[in-house]
Amino acid sequence: MWGLIKRLWAAMLKPSVHYSLGFLTLGGFICGILFWGGFNTALELTNTEAFCTGCHEMRTNVYADLQQTVHFTNASGVRAKCSDCHVPHEWTDKIARKIAASKEVWGKIFGTIDTREKFEEHRLEMAQREWARFEANDSLECRNCHSFTAMDFSQQSPRAADAHERILGAGEATCIECHKGIAHTLPRMTSKQSKALDLPADDVKESEITLLRAYLAEQRVFSIKSHF
Amino acid sequence: MRNLSFKLLIVVFLAATGLAAAQTANISTLRQTDPTVDDLPPPMRPVEDTNVREPRNYPEQPPLIPHDIEGYELSANFNKCLSCHARAATGRSQAPMVSVTHYIDRHGQVLASVSPRRYFCNQCHIPQRPDEPLVTNTFIDIDTLLSMPKE
Amino acid sequence: MTLSRREVLKAQAIVAASAAAGITAPAAAQSIITEREKTELTWSKAPCRFCGTGCSVMVATKDDRVVATHGDAEAEVNKGLNCVKGYFLSKIMYGADRLTKPLLRKRDGVFHKEGEFEEVSWDEAFDVMAEKFKTTLREKGPKAVGMFGSGQWTVWEGYAASKLYKAGFRSNNIDPNARHCMASAVAGFIRTFGIDEPMGCYDDFEHADAFVLWGSNMAEMHPILWTRLTDRRLSAPHVKVAVLSTYRNRCYDLADLELTFTPQTDLAILNAIQRHIIKSGKVNTDFVDKHTTFKRGNPNIGYGLRPEHPLEQSAANAAKAGGAEDMTFEEYEVFLEDYTFEYASELSGVPVSRLEELAEIYADPKIKVMSLWTMGVNQHTRGVWVNNMIYNAHLLTGKISEPGNSPFSLTGQPSACGTAREVGTFAHRLPADLVVANPEHRKTAEGIWKLPEGTVPDWVGAHAVLQNRKLKDGEINAYWIQVNNNLQAAPNMLQETYPGYRNPENFIVVSDAYPTVTAQAADLVLPTAMWVEKEGAYGNAERRTQFWHELVPAPGEAKSDLWQLMEFSKRFTTDEVWPEEILAAAPDYRGKTLFDVLFANGQVDAFPISETKDHPNHESGHFGFYAQKGLFEEYARFGRGHGHDLAPFDAYHEARGLRWPVVDGKETKWRYREGHDPYVTPGAGIEFYGKPDGKAFIFALPYEPPAESPNDEFPFWLVTGRVLEHWHSGSMTDRVPELHKAYPNAVVYMHPEDAAELGLHRGSAIKISSRRGDMLSRVETRGRNRVPRGLIFIPWFDANQLVNKLTLDATDPISKQTDFKKCACKVEAA
Repeated sequence: MWGLIKRLWAAMLKPSVHYSLGFLTLGGFICGILFWGGFNTALELTNTEAFCTGCHEMRTNVYADLQQTVHFTNASGVRAKCSDCHVPHEWTDKIARKIAASKEVWGKIFGTIDTREKFEEHRLEMAQREWARFEANDSLECRNCHSFTAMDFSQQSPRAADAHERILGAGEATCIECHKGIAHTLPRMTSKQSKALDLPADDVKESEITLLRAYLAEQRVFSIKSHF
Repeated sequence: MRNLSFKLLIVVFLAATGLAAAQTANISTLRQTDPTVDDLPPPMRPVEDTNVREPRNYPEQPPLIPHDIEGYELSANFNKCLSCHARAATGRSQAPMVSVTHYIDRHGQVLASVSPRRYFCNQCHIPQRPDEPLVTNTFIDIDTLLSMPKE
Repeated sequence: MTLSRREVLKAQAIVAASAAAGITAPAAAQSIITEREKTELTWSKAPCRFCGTGCSVMVATKDDRVVATHGDAEAEVNKGLNCVKGYFLSKIMYGADRLTKPLLRKRDGVFHKEGEFEEVSWDEAFDVMAEKFKTTLREKGPKAVGMFGSGQWTVWEGYAASKLYKAGFRSNNIDPNARHCMASAVAGFIRTFGIDEPMGCYDDFEHADAFVLWGSNMAEMHPILWTRLTDRRLSAPHVKVAVLSTYRNRCYDLADLELTFTPQTDLAILNAIQRHIIKSGKVNTDFVDKHTTFKRGNPNIGYGLRPEHPLEQSAANAAKAGGAEDMTFEEYEVFLEDYTFEYASELSGVPVSRLEELAEIYADPKIKVMSLWTMGVNQHTRGVWVNNMIYNAHLLTGKISEPGNSPFSLTGQPSACGTAREVGTFAHRLPADLVVANPEHRKTAEGIWKLPEGTVPDWVGAHAVLQNRKLKDGEINAYWIQVNNNLQAAPNMLQETYPGYRNPENFIVVSDAYPTVTAQAADLVLPTAMWVEKEGAYGNAERRTQFWHELVPAPGEAKSDLWQLMEFSKRFTTDEVWPEEILAAAPDYRGKTLFDVLFANGQVDAFPISETKDHPNHESGHFGFYAQKGLFEEYARFGRGHGHDLAPFDAYHEARGLRWPVVDGKETKWRYREGHDPYVTPGAGIEFYGKPDGKAFIFALPYEPPAESPNDEFPFWLVTGRVLEHWHSGSMTDRVPELHKAYPNAVVYMHPEDAAELGLHRGSAIKISSRRGDMLSRVETRGRNRVPRGLIFIPWFDANQLVNKLTLDATDPISKQTDFKKCACKVEAA
């Protein structure tokens, strides 16, 4: 027994002494594929709709939202699944996102959003995190499918063509700025916004709330990050 | 006789729609088949999605929405319509601004922004589908009426 | 009238251009018209033609045409707003298919049940119709004639119809379509308070801290009240909105508390609320002791189906559904013991935490709460119970009859309150809450009507669903339908409605402005003037009576329902329709026409035509007296001094409506509370004077299962209802191009996962079947209504998708109102 361990140890320290170079290269390659494939398969598994909607938090809230939108059913039958928008396609970012996702596991264990009410309480915070990410990467996950250069304005509605040509084309805005809420219900934002504008929520008089709401819409406040 | 032009119209329409004809088996107009026999409803078609405004029937009519609004959030959380039609947003969006009447509250006070009673835009403004009306409507707008022949 | 060929061509060209444009032909090359004489429009007020909200609109007329409408800024109800239907009122009268001549089914020149429709004169129409009614009355008596009217009748039309049937034909077989929509609310009011209609008013919207919607999609069906609720909610951040429904609808867009419950379990939720109020010590003991009495309602009351149905056979109290016995508060507390939040949650599927939050809205004495409900509560086999139980919550806490604390039943038709209820056009009612079964009440009516004693029959007539059954069974043979589209509206169409209309023994008359599917199934169709083509009065949900003038002439030979009723009455003499014993006791009435005894009675004809002033009035012009005023003033005698006081006729043409009781020129906003209601005994504070002892009833009522629930064969709940753009059966709104194009065809709202499981896509053609029939439609998995799994919602406005082929004719056994909100069905690809 001890002899076997010693032999293996020696082989690991100096494999070429014990095995041919070709065998080692090939073996290492195969092992690498197996390991890498397994890792990626597991990783990909966490990208499936089934995995994402395995938790009732996702299934009853954001997945229910998604089912009502154009990213779920549409003319051509192309469907965006959760990871298409929420997991970066580029490897390092993807791994970073997956590491960040460990926080979600924590949240799941402690039931941070395990009721509709709790989910709605956290919806703004979660949405803002995603919006910030999209704004920071110039809506990369949108552009993975929707490339500006591939847009045929003659096939778009006149409104969309105009906005894309004038605003998106000029780099004045990135996709997410106009398309918030495209796949999920928007969070209730009033109280947070009032805080952001240094209006203590308690002091808000009756009609001011509404004034505020319209004001914020007019100011396109979603792109004013400092207010959150 | 109150007005010739009105009567003229009725006569013309009776002739045109065939109601003046002597006999009709089926008088129901919205439904073409016997109540016990069903036709398959026509396909569901997407709403018209343009930037072309329909003229109003009269100045007080709320304008129709010429574009698609499917998926636009209109809830206590957010009013997607205002992200283009609010006064300050119209510069970038080039959309028509909400009318000044929308700033007036129940008591006739003009507020600094849209009155909350007008918050849910879709109670008055509706998009249109390409389905043709089942019966013609003979409403005559005031400009046409004023230019019509009179006795 | 002679027309030159040139004139015809010119008019034709203009109309063709208008029609092609879909709306208008603008005066193209012409520059703007500025001459005042031409551009001046006549603006007049009128209540909206659609729902029970009772918005006032301003109507612009020019050259006998309506050319514009908008919300009336001076009206308290809507303060200048209209919903999209209201804004398009200008076009509802101008469908090209307006009926302009009576149409009679004929073969070889004479009436034939299977003949084709031919135009006839009014004379011929009424000749044939009178002959059929006389034969029926002679051969089978008053129980074989019937009428189905409407909450869209004007006040005087309903009153004239009621008088013609109950006193003229001596038949109580007259019922309004309000039976389909308000009957449970009525029975709820009468049972709890002894007097019909809400104690509060719309002013409550601006005072409440919380709104609870119990089965009412106000956002679509009462849009202007929804603007008032939205205004309050968004203006005052502390205000909460709780929405209860069996599916997610547009009201959820404003909801702070969403409670989507399994059909029928609202009964358990309400009991859980009452239990919480008691357990948490929040009962307003002083109020409850002074102003309420506890009653145990009879359980196991059946489902209003035909008596031979097994469910009726097994219902112990089917014959005494409305019965109740006394109980104590302590017994009530024991009764509620089972209704824990957990039990209610288990039945309803609503999480316990949300039920608690809802219950606390009622229990917390600091929260002023307005409860609102419509068809979700009323169209319910236990609809009266749910009404009673909502009142329970308000009575236990004393949150009633004061600004903001208001259980408020909304109505669906413009005069469900004003005509159907207040005038008493139901099979069991007389004006001002009197009933036909009470000899004193009949005597009062006969006295006011100046008719011999015994004229009004003592039997309760057939209600809506029973009328259809009796038509099918050949027990009612002469039948008149005015202002409604009951073939489309009534439940179980193929088995219970259509067979009666086409029964060879029966003669069916339909008065309508348009050729509806009901008209199609009739034998005689009478062209009818509508809305501002006649002088009218409507009463809305907050007891507000509103008048309007005749503003434009009706097309062709179309006449108002009032004209038709009064003119038809001329064709009968008392000798033909009254029994000898009545005539022997009152020989003065012999040989007179029903018109003479009912309308030319010195009261209805008391006001000269000169009083119609500057406004046209085609009925009064024809009859030679101001018929509307005479009818109204005679009718008003029933309620004046009895808690239903109406103002003098002329006052209503000036005011934007007044809320009854109007005492000394002052309207009443909150009934039963001293300081607001002149009928409360001074010093009483609160007095529910509809009950002899001034005390309202708190009812102990259990949860009982629905008449039909999904099973393996029929796995879906079917819920029917309306959409914003169309009103009821769509006979007006579907003729407005803009409204039609906004919502052209009914669709079936379905959960996307249910659709996927059945292999269906959004837009797929489907067949929906129940035990009673099937219909074709298409799948909608998105949009305004989001239904839970196992439930579908189908709107009923579409004449091409008659959803009532599927519905069950089960009714609330007390109110006889149909449950259109729950039956079982299946869905498959078509």
